[in-house]
Amino acid sequence: MTERSGVYNELMSVWTVGPLLSIAMTLAAFLAAQWIFVRIRRPLWMPPVLIAAVLLSGVVALSGIGYEKYQHGARWLTALLGPATVALGIPLYQQMHHIRALWKPILVTLPIAATLAAVYSLVIAWGMGASPMVLASLAPKSVTAPIAMGVSEQLGGSVSLTLGALLITGVLASLFVDWGAKWMKVTDERIIGFALGLNGHAVGTARAFEISPTAGAFSSLGMGLTGVFTALFLPFMFPF
Amino acid sequence: MVLLRGFLTLVVFFLLGEAVRVLAGLPISGGVLGMVMATGTLMLRGRVSDELASASQGLIAVLVMLISPGVVGVFFIADQFSEHWLTVAVALAAGTLLSVLTTLWVMNWVAASEGKKHD
Repeated sequence: MTERSGVYNELMSVWTVGPLLSIAMTLAAFLAAQWIFVRIRRPLWMPPVLIAAVLLSGVVALSGIGYEKYQHGARWLTALLGPATVALGIPLYQQMHHIRALWKPILVTLPIAATLAAVYSLVIAWGMGASPMVLASLAPKSVTAPIAMGVSEQLGGSVSLTLGALLITGVLASLFVDWGAKWMKVTDERIIGFALGLNGHAVGTARAFEISPTAGAFSSLGMGLTGVFTALFLPFMFPF
Repeated sequence: MVLLRGFLTLVVFFLLGEAVRVLAGLPISGGVLGMVMATGTLMLRGRVSDELASASQGLIAVLVMLISPGVVGVFFIADQFSEHWLTVAVALAAGTLLSVLTTLWVMNWVAASEGKKHD
């Protein structure tokens, strides 16, 4: 038994010298999550990113690698979030004709809704006595992850709490847009898509692409514009 | 090779964004600045190359994977936030419901009044 665990420990120390074990785990969890998501019939409340994170946490805890070591290796992947943010600018350009066609509703809705997406939650959390660190972590909750992480860091929040808030917000926004559109009798897929992307970032956008390509395009647009708007204005408006 | 060229373009724009952030002292992440510069450049050029379009599609498709290591952190630091969880849960649930309804209402209203003007 001792010899076995000795071999295991030796293997682990060899494997965790470089980042490849972390990368393999993350890739495997991502692919497994996609597969499971399709198998359980794409439930709104259980998006692939949540499945992947739960799988990864289980493996990280059970294998004894430890979160620190896993995270260290995974940095090779998370470094790609920078260029991935730049990549969001390309669909933004490709959908420029959509923006032009519906520029007025977009222009009126964006500043109001993107501001309120942060303000509603901040006011509620502040009223319940949240610390400045928690408030800073919640502020970019409707913004796509690579941008939100940067905003949270700049405001003095916890990036991990922000990512958790982001995930919950994305899942809830997908559910609420479905309900809200039915309740308010909104049938325009462009509006539904824009609301999904504006409030639910990447998770909402994945949902929008399930509704229709038009909803998906408007969701990407809502996600991109909210990201830019929040990144540009939130650090200046945040009074803490 | 084609994908690599597109990827290099994205990385260069990210590095430019970081440069602008530091030199101008802006509180905006380098990725966002790079994105704005990339969109602006494409608008000036009036077209997007296939290599850049496919590299960007590829990265956006794995966005969920790039986020997941960070999300894992939520489970490992959860106990740090155990005293805040109720606040966080209420703020997120109520805040998101309100902002979703506001978005749908405002946009629907503006689009409808626009439509009426055109009729």
